[in-house]
Amino acid sequence: MADMSKFADIDIDPGIIKRAANGDAKAHEIIYRAFSAPVYSICLRFTRVPAHAEDLVQETFIEIMRSIAKFRGEAALGSWIRRIAVTKALMFLRSAWTKRGQMLTDDWHEVTEGDALSHGISRHPDDAMDLDAALASLSDVSRAVVWLHDVEGFTHKEIAGFMGKTESFSKSQLSRAYQRLRPMLEVQESGTQPDGAAISY
Amino acid sequence: MSGNKKEDEMICALTADEQVALQAGLSALPDTMPPREVWQRIREQAEAEGLIKDRKLNVRSNWFAGAGLAAAALVAAVMLPGLLQQTDTMTVVPQNPPTNEQVQLTALQTLVTESRELESNLRALPDAPRVMRASTMATISDLEERIAAIDYQLNDPAVQMSAADRELFWRERVRLMKSLLQLRYAQAQRTAF
Repeated sequence: MADMSKFADIDIDPGIIKRAANGDAKAHEIIYRAFSAPVYSICLRFTRVPAHAEDLVQETFIEIMRSIAKFRGEAALGSWIRRIAVTKALMFLRSAWTKRGQMLTDDWHEVTEGDALSHGISRHPDDAMDLDAALASLSDVSRAVVWLHDVEGFTHKEIAGFMGKTESFSKSQLSRAYQRLRPMLEVQESGTQPDGAAISY
Repeated sequence: MSGNKKEDEMICALTADEQVALQAGLSALPDTMPPREVWQRIREQAEAEGLIKDRKLNVRSNWFAGAGLAAAALVAAVMLPGLLQQTDTMTVVPQNPPTNEQVQLTALQTLVTESRELESNLRALPDAPRVMRASTMATISDLEERIAAIDYQLNDPAVQMSAADRELFWRERVRLMKSLLQLRYAQAQRTAF
């Protein structure tokens, strides 16, 4: 799975990381300016509530400040920050589910065409707004799995680890989400399905 | 393949083309910037927990460092003649070795010059096309915002910045300017064809 994450495109000078590790406020501000948008975006995609996403951004960057001295540079800084943000966002979702007395496996509802239209999804969308709306129409778990798998490039094993579930759970959530998103990917002009081999995992 | 036929059939709800289209579409969704006050909240919490060095503390520690240096110089001035009289051998002292500050100043000048050249190259490019990909637009906007944030710090008279800090900011500015220039150059190339 290709890593199409925006975190991977952000490069920070090692000198700045070193200064941040020494508690330099300005170096931390540079890191924040560089990564705040992708961190906020991932938190907003998972929670859909700006206030929750803002709190998660705060928790993420405070965690970065606490732990950056332990960052050894074996992975890219962006991958490290992304992992912290994903962990925080999923922990938040799990606590929200717990408060609602739900299990992870309960977090699925079938979206009807009427629901889809109420989310602003057309049968044949042609812009990012529709895809964004379609993503928003998925359950919290499915949306998180799609994003982690297809955009951030995590494997089912890693996703299962984040969620405290099995690989099969992650695969099943992805499958359901794909079924839901599939009508959006149909070829508009010809009305035919694109050719292509089935995907192997 | 996972080896489990039933599981694979269940997962393959999309063809490879469809999955590529979905990935590309999702990756092209623009990022959203958090509100400006979020950094202020983070900073306040970090200062309260002692995770970052407060500027006022830096000034105080610099003052102590300065006082320490002055004291060391005074001790050296008093004791050095006596110590030199005790030695018969000739000591070779390098003539005016460059200080850390001088080295930093030269590096800073190089960065400022490089930054100006990049600005000039950027201005020489044709105007950005009126229509561009949302992802490109978001990246350009992000880079410009980060450069603006650095400029704000560099130009804010209230910010007491050491030579090392100043160099750090200019180095980051140059790096971001290079990224912006590369992006705008690629954009200009695409528009030209």
